[in-house]
Amino acid sequence: MANFILRKAEPKDVPDILRLIKELAKFEEMEEQVILTEKDLLEDGFGDHPFYQCVIAEVPKDQQSVEGYMVVGFAMYYFTYDPWIGKLLYLEDFYVMKEYRGYGIGSEILKKLSETAVKTRCSSMHFIVAEWNKPSIEFYKRRGASDLSLEEGWRLFEINKKYLMKMSTK
Amino acid sequence: MANFILRKAEPKDVSDILRLIKELAKYEDMEDQVVLTEKDLLEDGFGDHPFYQCVIAEVPRDQRSVEGHALIGFAMYYFTYDPWIGKLLYLEDFYVMKEYRGFGIGSEILKNLSNMAVKMRCSSMHFVVAEWNKPSIEFYKRRGASDLSLEQGWRLFKIDKEYLMKMSVEE
Repeated sequence: MANFILRKAEPKDVPDILRLIKELAKFEEMEEQVILTEKDLLEDGFGDHPFYQCVIAEVPKDQQSVEGYMVVGFAMYYFTYDPWIGKLLYLEDFYVMKEYRGYGIGSEILKKLSETAVKTRCSSMHFIVAEWNKPSIEFYKRRGASDLSLEEGWRLFEINKKYLMKMSTK
Repeated sequence: MANFILRKAEPKDVSDILRLIKELAKYEDMEDQVVLTEKDLLEDGFGDHPFYQCVIAEVPRDQRSVEGHALIGFAMYYFTYDPWIGKLLYLEDFYVMKEYRGFGIGSEILKNLSNMAVKMRCSSMHFVVAEWNKPSIEFYKRRGASDLSLEQGWRLFKIDKEYLMKMSVEE
């Protein structure tokens, strides 16, 4: 099996995008943390101001999965901004269904994202990886990735909504 | 001194924004790494598709800095997306000039950002802090921040342009 195409996601792809988001979350043992709905994905990705973009990997009907899926992989990304160097492409989620790995789909998706980044004149692609996820770390390092947390000491923080509300009403 | 206003940045603020970006970079010993120009900031922030947003802190004329600056603090932010929970507000840069600290300007800026995040129905505000920057870490922790790198093991990676170009042309 080697036939697949990559294309920009459309509104009709939203159920497949959510399905793949949940599959990837399951791999990270966090499936019940996915509270996003198809409605959210539709409004947030295909409204007046898209908050994310997706590239989809699709196989022909005769190669659909056991459950009948033709959308077998995706990458979700958006543009961020570094005050020292400008535009960046931020890779948020990246997943290919298990049965479709080993055929170069992941590499093709990354190639597509690289082209998009260069075309939009981004200085770099950023993303986070969990420190225990050795296969992914190696996948990215083989392609020239550097660990900024290790090299420069950056740590990711969050201030959750309940504290934001506390600050905004103080 | 306590008089200041917060407002949305305008195209005319671009040179002050770049000045403050460079001051913050200097504090991190990285001033020569700022390659961004006023032209970039103008195109990227005030064109058809803004890649960032800024809130500015401004003092009245009679409280301007020694060098004559009225814009004495800023926060640069944009919206990101978490595939599990949706929209997030991402705080990219946040700085108040040394002489103007201790008057609550930083807290007001954070309050302004919190309002924005809640209004835009963001689930959270994310940002990175260098592990050696203890004062900033404490500032944020006092306001409810959690260290996701520590708690969940997330590490930030980059693939620089030279490698992106390599990937985009390889067969």
